Amino acid sequence: MTMIRMSNIHKYFGSLHVLKGVSLEVNKGEIVSVIGPSGSGKSTLLRCMNQLEKIDGGILEIEGLVVEAAGNVGVKVSASQQQVRDTYRKMGMVFQSFNLFPHMTALENVIEAPITVNKMAKTDAVKIAERQLAKVGLLDKKDTYPSKLSGGQKQRVAIARALAMDPDIMLFDEPTSALDPELVGEVLGVIKKLAEEHMTMLIVTHEMGFAREISDRIIFMDNGEILEDASPKEFFEKPRHPRIKTFLEKML
Amino acid sequence: MDHLDYVLKILPFILSGLKLTAKIYVATLIFALPLGLLAAIGKVTGPKIIKSILFLYTWIWRGTPLLFQLFFMYYALPVIGIRFSPFVAATVAYVLNYGAYLTEIFRGGIESIEKGQYEAAKALGMTYPQTMRRIIIPQTVRRVLPPICSEAVNLVKDTALLAVVGMPDLLRIATQIFTRDFNIIPFIVAFVLYLIISSVLVKLFGKLEKMHSIYE
Ligand SMILES: Nc1ncnc2c1ncn2[C@@H]1O[C@H](COP(=O)(O)OP(=O)(O)OP(=O)(O)O)[C@@H](O)[C@H]1O
Ligand SMILES: [Mg+2]
Repeated sequence: MTMIRMSNIHKYFGSLHVLKGVSLEVNKGEIVSVIGPSGSGKSTLLRCMNQLEKIDGGILEIEGLVVEAAGNVGVKVSASQQQVRDTYRKMGMVFQSFNLFPHMTALENVIEAPITVNKMAKTDAVKIAERQLAKVGLLDKKDTYPSKLSGGQKQRVAIARALAMDPDIMLFDEPTSALDPELVGEVLGVIKKLAEEHMTMLIVTHEMGFAREISDRIIFMDNGEILEDASPKEFFEKPRHPRIKTFLEKML
Repeated sequence: MDHLDYVLKILPFILSGLKLTAKIYVATLIFALPLGLLAAIGKVTGPKIIKSILFLYTWIWRGTPLLFQLFFMYYALPVIGIRFSPFVAATVAYVLNYGAYLTEIFRGGIESIEKGQYEAAKALGMTYPQTMRRIIIPQTVRRVLPPICSEAVNLVKDTALLAVVGMPDLLRIATQIFTRDFNIIPFIVAFVLYLIISSVLVKLFGKLEKMHSIYE
């Protein structure tokens, strides 16, 4: 089943053409890593998927529903506003800078959306939140405020917070880039755990070893375009594009 | 010992003045805080027309003296047939003036919240009103607590302007007793009371700020 289908997506920031006709499909249970040089549009790609950015052209389908269509594409949005909102809820997003709510404890961060958005009873939300915090190994920190957590812990709470909404898809935008090297492993460990549970994931990352180990597919973005969409084996062992070769040489 | 007797004799009057000062003080805070918060939300998120009105409001009320605004309520409005009781006139003048300053404080607070907070809330499926109510406003309130507390201490001192428009507040009562008896003691009593009140408030607000900064 296709979870995400992007067809010929264009995105501009003013006159800057940031996504130049990107097409991409992500199937259920697939883990797709997105790599590429800085400024190539990786974050923008992810942000367009969960509509933090509006697209300027193309079609965006989530779980078979056209949630956004822009430009002369001959397709109309088939989802109601409510359905569009529901698709947000079905997509968890993890940011490079965590974006935890600083005025709430770890537990409060995690129960916030289930209560406010899903109108869940607090006791049920707490149960779910404690399960998610336990999963990321932070149940003992549930009453701690984000300011008292390390970067790695913050990011794990952020993952628990997204998981509490029971997402079908998880989007990660460089989840470990803001972390000290010794804290990267704990966050990657949590993502690996999700992989074992067959969570559908799109991960923007600079961790090449991790991407190679965990991904079903690697997407290479350059200058607003997808240059390559291949299995990790193909991608790392025989990159077809010279730009990818130079990129990999620089990274390794 | 006759000094102490004198103080005890004038204290009931002085305290009646203090009571008026306290009433205006509390009424001003009760109305000006929500006014400031709502106006700030309007200024940040409202439609253009609301923004323009609020711009005029804060521009005019912050750009003219509080004493002028009191005079206007007391002397100018009655001339064109708008009459309030002195207490209401004073309260309205203070609320509108402090509301304007608080609006700007709250607005600054709201605008200082990182974009990532809105994005995280949106990615979790929260609507814009939910985001404001649950995420942005609570953080704003904590963040602007220090400047708001300092406004609240200023207000203690600004209440003395009531004396100028003839309201029997702490300062005016003290002045009246002074002119009657030609004795400096009422002023000293008022001085001590002002100082005690503002010091207690400073201390109290300091505690409040500490309580709410645990998460930073
Ligand atoms: N809100 C914005 N307004 C204007 N330009 C933007 C905005 N967001 C991104 N850009 C520009 O769009 C281009 C792509 O940015 P994007 O953040 O998607 O790149 P990226 O591949 O994620 O890079 P990085 O690896 O540095 O995170 C960059 O040139 C960036 O400066
Ligand atoms: Mg990026």
